[in-house]
Amino acid sequence: MFISGIGIVFTRGRGIDSFENALKEGWRAPSWTGSFPAYRVGQEILIDASLSKKIRRADRFSRMAVLSAVDAYRDSGITVNQSENLGIILATAFGPHATTFSFIDDILDYSDANVSPTKFSNSVHNAAASYISAILDSRGPTVTVTQFKLAFQNALILAGSWIAEGRCDHVLCGCADELGTVMEYACKMKLNIAKDGKINPFAFSDSPVSVPGEGSVFIMLSKEKGSNNYGKVTETSFFQNITGKPDLFIIDTDGMSGNEKDYKDIINYGSLIAGYSPVFGSMLTGSALNFAAAALMLKNQVAYKCIFQDNPFGAKLCAETYAKNLDEIYCIKICRPEIKTIVKLQK
Amino acid sequence: MKVVISGIGIISAAGFNLEQNLDAIKNGKRNAGPASVFSTILPYPVFEVKALPEKLEKEEMRTQSLAFAALKEALDDAGLQAPLSGFRTGVCLGTTVASQLNDIAFYTAFRKSGSADLKPVDLFLSGNLAESVACSVNASGPSITVVNACSSGTDAIGIALSWLKSGLCDIAITGGADEISRVPLCGFGSLGILSNSLCAPFDKNRSGLNLGEGAGILIIEREDFYIKRCGKPSLYLTGYGSFADAYHLTAPRPDGTGLESAIRKALSDAGVLPADICFVNAHGTGTTDNDKVEGSVLSRVFGNKIKFLSTKGYTGHTLGGAGGIEAAYTAAALKEGWIPASAGFACRDDEISISPVTENTAINGSFAVSTSLAFGGNNAAIVIERA
Amino acid sequence: MEESKEKNLAEIRKLLKELLVENLSLEDIRPEDIKNDEILFGDGLGLDSLDAVEIVVLLQRNFGLEVKDMKQGREIFYSIDTLARYIYENKKAT
Repeated sequence: MFISGIGIVFTRGRGIDSFENALKEGWRAPSWTGSFPAYRVGQEILIDASLSKKIRRADRFSRMAVLSAVDAYRDSGITVNQSENLGIILATAFGPHATTFSFIDDILDYSDANVSPTKFSNSVHNAAASYISAILDSRGPTVTVTQFKLAFQNALILAGSWIAEGRCDHVLCGCADELGTVMEYACKMKLNIAKDGKINPFAFSDSPVSVPGEGSVFIMLSKEKGSNNYGKVTETSFFQNITGKPDLFIIDTDGMSGNEKDYKDIINYGSLIAGYSPVFGSMLTGSALNFAAAALMLKNQVAYKCIFQDNPFGAKLCAETYAKNLDEIYCIKICRPEIKTIVKLQK
Repeated sequence: MKVVISGIGIISAAGFNLEQNLDAIKNGKRNAGPASVFSTILPYPVFEVKALPEKLEKEEMRTQSLAFAALKEALDDAGLQAPLSGFRTGVCLGTTVASQLNDIAFYTAFRKSGSADLKPVDLFLSGNLAESVACSVNASGPSITVVNACSSGTDAIGIALSWLKSGLCDIAITGGADEISRVPLCGFGSLGILSNSLCAPFDKNRSGLNLGEGAGILIIEREDFYIKRCGKPSLYLTGYGSFADAYHLTAPRPDGTGLESAIRKALSDAGVLPADICFVNAHGTGTTDNDKVEGSVLSRVFGNKIKFLSTKGYTGHTLGGAGGIEAAYTAAALKEGWIPASAGFACRDDEISISPVTENTAINGSFAVSTSLAFGGNNAAIVIERA
Repeated sequence: MEESKEKNLAEIRKLLKELLVENLSLEDIRPEDIKNDEILFGDGLGLDSLDAVEIVVLLQRNFGLEVKDMKQGREIFYSIDTLARYIYENKKAT
């Protein structure tokens, strides 16, 4: 399947151009508005006058997802004539949890019988996909899925199945996760947060540091090559060893999934290695943002520099931004040695 | 390549296993009462699973306990034993409550003091339904939890079917599970769609739904794989359709076109015509809007003589579990050759041109449909075949 | 008497408009833009069924009023005028 559009909402803005700029620009310090450094999405990024009526009730989680999905659709330049031909898959680790807690506030403050139905409706995981489908009038299969480890990879597999089966010609496949107050508390207690705000993706540590992030990215995946083509996804696999030699590996090291020692083996394949978690922060669904970086690199034929050069094992890192022939990129996420996922992208 | 249903497991207020469930619905038992799992001032009756089998109970993880109870029965039925190694197993399960961190005591403490015991967070992080089931059986294929509100279970079954057809796995554990919880009870109450009495799907005087809990798990597998393992199949999962309303966050599209497309797609996927369907296990929640839209779509697709029912009068609306439980009922009914009376129905609604069956009814045919509609405008349907 | 009733109704209307804009997230609308006799649902202000149940909660929280029957709600929720009158009459009775 072809990658025909990308939309993104992350700490530094909205849209694939701002993502590209961020990749070129390099590291920027996270915000310190909470009790620890984090890559938060500012409220101003989530305002869109053209959609305000349609998303008036939407919470932050849904807004992030809606804006990135609508942008991915627009970026593709494709007009899906038959609305049943466009499917949606939204993957998330935590869903709109801030709204769930806001709804529980209602229960505690006003009693079980006096709570807001609007908050409840928005606290359901699939509210975001519902907004997206109503705005785009997309009537194809629409599912929201959740998983902590490999949500995006499973979403990609499903998108591939739908397109192969002919359920739809295009799938908006994306991820969203937010960093609410309770999640911040859980992060503070459970993660090894980098006090200096610097994720260290190539330290391959057994207790890696993280800087929590939030955001959403949607990829428009199409059966046929569109006018705006980033490349294609040739394979998504679990539990398999790496075969072949890509031009570049992008790895999901961000301190969210514990021990990162197993990533070290990738050095042995001799290809260039990159990882962009320092641009958007640590997220269980961060694979989707690294995937977007891979697609952008294939389209532009540019390798973007990795942000941290702390490289104790001498990995062949992408040290600067430069024009480079890139035919194939593998995106790798390793949860445990036996759970290794490979997403292969080609020019 | 066909896909076989090789195992069925079910737990609901109607019973702890398939046999008990069928016995209860055959006798018209409706085990509803006031909520006892949590305290609430809300008066709505709910369908609770009264006691979970002790050995399977996962501490403080009710949805998982329900899912594992049904999983055990389904694996036994399929003649399988965990770990499922030596072949690729996928896990696709629907839920709603288990996907949310919504522990009220934890949040109350956090709100008060800015800190709280993290045990509920730890349980939540270890409790992603598909992940924990996949881990428990050593599944090596795709695994994902579907959170499509009330159509989660049916969509999960459809996704698992897609996996098997695309060769991503040999076997899949699928269906759905959900626990009764104070948060959705308050939420559905605020939407004004809970009934103060026992629900009455498709009835003229229906006044809303009753929440329930439970799990329905199917083991499905590639036919070639199953034949090698066990021989002749007796049930198939043959079709799935899923379409969105693109309409509203909570209300179904009044013309029902999303549901109609989903049913028609499931039929064409299965290679059958509406006339081939011997009964429909409808979503039938007992709310004014759902039953009106669904009734009109069923009559439009299948004609006015279609036999249909809602089993929500026996289990309550089990949300993410509903699609799994109803698929299990549908498969069992095809196998046994009868469907139960649609509990709660007495009086025909002038706005719905068809009526559900009012007594236990023999069915004669090979194909049946089970439908689900959800908040957010998701519509899903599957077709099950008796060999 | 009439004068104080009118004054009271005007206050309720003003409060209602503020509550609707805030609680229904009517982002592009200012309270003073809502006309007293404007139809709230459908073609008028464009509110929908989810707003209707939200208004039920709003009446409960702010005025202690319960609307149990949504069929009755349809008449009460017609416009700011009808809502304000309902609140005035029922608040007074309690």
